[in-house]
Amino acid sequence: MSMTRFLVRRIFEIVVTLFIIATLIFVLFRVMPGDPAAMVVNPKMTPELKEILRMRFGLDKPLWEQYVIYVNNLLHGEFGTSFYWEGDVFDILKTRIFPTILLFTTGTLLAYALGVNLGRIIAWRRGGNLEYGFTVGGLFFLTMPIFWIGLLAIWLLSYRLDVFPVGGMITPEIWSAPGGVSLLTKIADVGYHLFLPLTVYTIVIFAGNMLLMKNSMLETLKEDYIITARAKGLPEKKVRDHHAARNAMLPVVTALSLAMAFSFNGGVITETTFSWPGLGRTLVQASLSHDYPLAQGAFIMLAGVVLMAVLAADILYAYLDPRITY
Amino acid sequence: MNEIEVRARWQKRKERIQHTWTLFKKSRVGLLGIAILALFSVFALVSVIPPKIDEMYAPLSGTDPDIIGFTQPSAQHPLGTDFMGRDLFSQLLEGAKWALIVGITAAATSVIIGTVVGLVSGYFGGIVDTLLQRTADILLTLPGIPIILVIAAAVGEMSIWNIIFLMGMLGWPGTSKVIRSQVLSLRTRPFIESALVSGASSSRIIFRHIAPNVLPLTFLYMTFGVTAAIGVEAALSFIGLGDPSTVSWGMMLQWCFRSGYTFNAPFWLLPPGLCITFLALSFYLIGIGTQEIINPRLRER
Repeated sequence: MSMTRFLVRRIFEIVVTLFIIATLIFVLFRVMPGDPAAMVVNPKMTPELKEILRMRFGLDKPLWEQYVIYVNNLLHGEFGTSFYWEGDVFDILKTRIFPTILLFTTGTLLAYALGVNLGRIIAWRRGGNLEYGFTVGGLFFLTMPIFWIGLLAIWLLSYRLDVFPVGGMITPEIWSAPGGVSLLTKIADVGYHLFLPLTVYTIVIFAGNMLLMKNSMLETLKEDYIITARAKGLPEKKVRDHHAARNAMLPVVTALSLAMAFSFNGGVITETTFSWPGLGRTLVQASLSHDYPLAQGAFIMLAGVVLMAVLAADILYAYLDPRITY
Repeated sequence: MNEIEVRARWQKRKERIQHTWTLFKKSRVGLLGIAILALFSVFALVSVIPPKIDEMYAPLSGTDPDIIGFTQPSAQHPLGTDFMGRDLFSQLLEGAKWALIVGITAAATSVIIGTVVGLVSGYFGGIVDTLLQRTADILLTLPGIPIILVIAAAVGEMSIWNIIFLMGMLGWPGTSKVIRSQVLSLRTRPFIESALVSGASSSRIIFRHIAPNVLPLTFLYMTFGVTAAIGVEAALSFIGLGDPSTVSWGMMLQWCFRSGYTFNAPFWLLPPGLCITFLALSFYLIGIGTQEIINPRLRER
């Protein structure tokens, strides 16, 4: 099967999955005890506004008709009105997608680069203190609660040493300075805010990759072609990087798409700890304040981002392993 | 079954456990895991003592009559008190109890579901397999914390048992995949065929003949499941979705954070985090030890 056909099939699968998720969410919010209207209509609203919303979501109609309206609304990017922000859910979420993708993409790439390289090096020096130290360290990072590392980092670097901001993504004073600011200043400001959440997120994600890479590398080093490469008198570095590491990387890349759920769990917690204005933190806030329309929208949006990330990982895998045909 | 037979069976079981233990003992990380777990089990067991000594040591409701708010460690309160004047050390002990309850119950629920789904899916194949595995695929791709968050948004405040139930319901797909692939290869083995021709029913073959062969894997996935469940519960409590009537380590950190003592109460901030890390680590290490028994290739290289 060609790449295009594979892509078309996968995108179709993603759409079907999102549809199933949206349906389950509809059921979830409708089977809850109490007035179903309470799930879409803000109790604080005036009776006239409530009536308008009831009409728009067809809340006086039978359930199946409500479902049709719901799906139709979703297809038009209409997620309803946030109770808390009192604005259109889609408009709110639009601004939250980029921060999530920024943190997730940079973090995942860094975590993989770090994990693969460290894993390669410590496996090569197996039996030494270096391997022991990094393995123990990796195990700790793997089991430490991400928000707790975050709090320790904020405590040490923001509160004690005052080198990094406590949270957020931008310094409003810089962005709204009279006369406007250059793009470079804006990027630098975001980078400055990104540093801590990115570091904490990377630390938690890289440990698993490092340990996996180490194990995979140790397996690969037993292969006959490694002995051959050495017998040929190739330089050690070449044997390690070109003969062993390249093959040892495959399980790590396979794990990339499987570990996506784990990464996003970590991402949601990181965003919340550092007040990073992404989809995850929005979902947490919406859940805590019972802002049903916003919670629904944020979840569906986040699910979409996760599914796209898995797709990207699958494409990467096919690109790295030429043996894969669809 | 007469008495001799019963005794012989128990003897055999005892020998098998002894054999497993001899293998497990060889794994140093595995033993370390057992040691840490033993320490926390002691914590959990002695958590009932402080409230008996004095009512002010009750982890949730007890307050020192002389203290109304946060205090640093003292002779009376080894780790100090929280923002309501409750003893932090008794909370820490109580947290060990809840971490073990949450971790083990949630992981057991999810691996039991996972094993049954894996057995059924692998044995029957066909449409049953497709339906179960597609469901597993979707759950495997979606991150669990957002799912629990959106359910929490609809349901409202959740008790600790709701949280355990949800984690159990969401954690099974990984186990089911592994068990299924084992069943697929076991199914073709001669002893299954002989069970079939001797007229055994499907459920008998699945649960009496195949299941015992996959149970070690179930146990392995349970140890990793406990690590995950402890982490997820702590994270949910920290972001404010925990059960406020349960003193868990995540809840202690949430109280510390919400009351604004994150940066000036190291004896409040550090112990719960360290405890979560070490208890989660202990189950992970036991998992590594178990893995070495199940997969001999991993033993001493």
